[in-house]
Amino acid sequence: MTSYFEFTNPTKLCSGKGAADNLEYELEILGVRRPMVLSDRVLEKIGTLKIVLNALREIQTGRIFTDIPRDSSVEVVNRIAKEYREFDCDGLVAVGGGSVLDTAKGVRLLISQGADDLLELMGCECLPKGTHVPFAALPTTAGTGSEATPVAVIKNPALHIKMEYISQHLMPDVAVLDPRMTLTLPPRITASTGMDTLCHAIEAYSCMQKNPVSDAYAAAAVTLVRDNLVKAVRHGRSKETRMALANASYLAGAAFGNSMVGVVHAVGHALGGVCHIPHGDAMNILLPVGMIFNRKVCRGAYGELLLYLAGPEVYQATKPENRADQAIREVIKLRRKLHELTGLPQTLKEAGADPALFPQVAETALNDGACIVNPREVTFEAVIKILEKCYE
Amino acid sequence: MKRELMNQADKIVLEVLYRSFRVLYRKDSRVRREIDSWAEDLTLKLVCGPKGTALAVRHDEKHGIVKLRRAQKADITMRFKSVEGAFQVLSGQKSVADAYAEHLFFLEGDIFQTMSFVRCVEYLEGYLFPEFMSRRILKELPGRQVPALQVYALALLENGN
Repeated sequence: MTSYFEFTNPTKLCSGKGAADNLEYELEILGVRRPMVLSDRVLEKIGTLKIVLNALREIQTGRIFTDIPRDSSVEVVNRIAKEYREFDCDGLVAVGGGSVLDTAKGVRLLISQGADDLLELMGCECLPKGTHVPFAALPTTAGTGSEATPVAVIKNPALHIKMEYISQHLMPDVAVLDPRMTLTLPPRITASTGMDTLCHAIEAYSCMQKNPVSDAYAAAAVTLVRDNLVKAVRHGRSKETRMALANASYLAGAAFGNSMVGVVHAVGHALGGVCHIPHGDAMNILLPVGMIFNRKVCRGAYGELLLYLAGPEVYQATKPENRADQAIREVIKLRRKLHELTGLPQTLKEAGADPALFPQVAETALNDGACIVNPREVTFEAVIKILEKCYE
Repeated sequence: MKRELMNQADKIVLEVLYRSFRVLYRKDSRVRREIDSWAEDLTLKLVCGPKGTALAVRHDEKHGIVKLRRAQKADITMRFKSVEGAFQVLSGQKSVADAYAEHLFFLEGDIFQTMSFVRCVEYLEGYLFPEFMSRRILKELPGRQVPALQVYALALLENGN
């Protein structure tokens, strides 16, 4: 742990049954009269977006934009910001997964800084507040935790990389977690996004910026995932388990938003950019191998995590020197269960990655900001080894 | 007064850093490979706190980097929040990774390109600081391709302009 840490979490959380029904009120107190609503085509088609639009009641939308791809890009963000201005909008409502939420963050950045091109605003913690753009986030997956982080990941198609923007001014004013938003998630995506949450929490708990506050959030997230992920995969219509996972995702987001993530995310982002592996799938494949890579310096943290990953009985029955290894085994056990239930890939081969691209993945991963806070030095050779171990 | 002393020390170390960078561009294949991967004419600036000393450089094919006299805005700027924070890094008390984790500096520009610069600084720290200091601040010792004394000697003779 470092000798100094910072923790920021200014977002108001509205979590629970009927949470979306409070959106009109939340927007009113933020002074929003013509929000731009961002979402995607699938959510529009299955009716999730309609729940939110109905909740707006008296508030007229300035523009509804649903043409956001799975991996949003700089061009998409720039285009939406232009429309925001053209349609004279005065706030943002983002309804979607990580891509939609991160797109909204990018748009907010452009509007608040009075800029036209996101590439002009690259950096980490360098931007002044700018004009306040009210922003409500309604996640429809329980994985990215983007509603609780100061991070936006936006694709730069020209360079085949996912760029990170880090600023506390990216954080939404309000995050709305409503079980209706995730009830229709298919089991396979529930599993994949749930493992993303687990990965956020484990990396937050073990990377260089870990601190007592982020540890508390991360530990709570791991416990919720342990108790609810398999249940949600089996019984997707259970509002209780959906809420628990939405809360886990938020908690893990708040944890890693402050203590950041490490090698698993660095390699995962690169696999997404180069091999187009969905982020949650990549996390699921990489997590145990990333933990094994870091075990040498994270033995203590992983040992502590066993309590949350497996519960007090297993923790107590495991000798202290074996707890880190047992924690890794618990992650593998969960992954195997999810594979049995949903077919979630456990190897890069199953996910369709081309090993010929591994050198490119490794080069890309080394330049990911997550490498700097990974507790072990990440080298080209180390990433290649991780990829090879994950291949089959 | 203490701050002024730190500022003067930062100034000296930045000069050593600059000269050593140029030496290692010739003598260390890892540093050369990293710098060669930088975009043509990429400009970098290291600012040691408000009103602190600064070093601005541009990517140069022949020497690796050349100093810029005036750089209003660089492609990448690492700006320390305080002179004290910069001193901790430049005096070998903290690594760049520690400084990042402790929010001692902020970054303007592309994080992706900055990581290559960070790796170069870590290679450099492996030469500039005695092993016991490097071992304390770096996650792993990066190793040396030439003796540290040779780097110091060549840095003394290096053109600082």
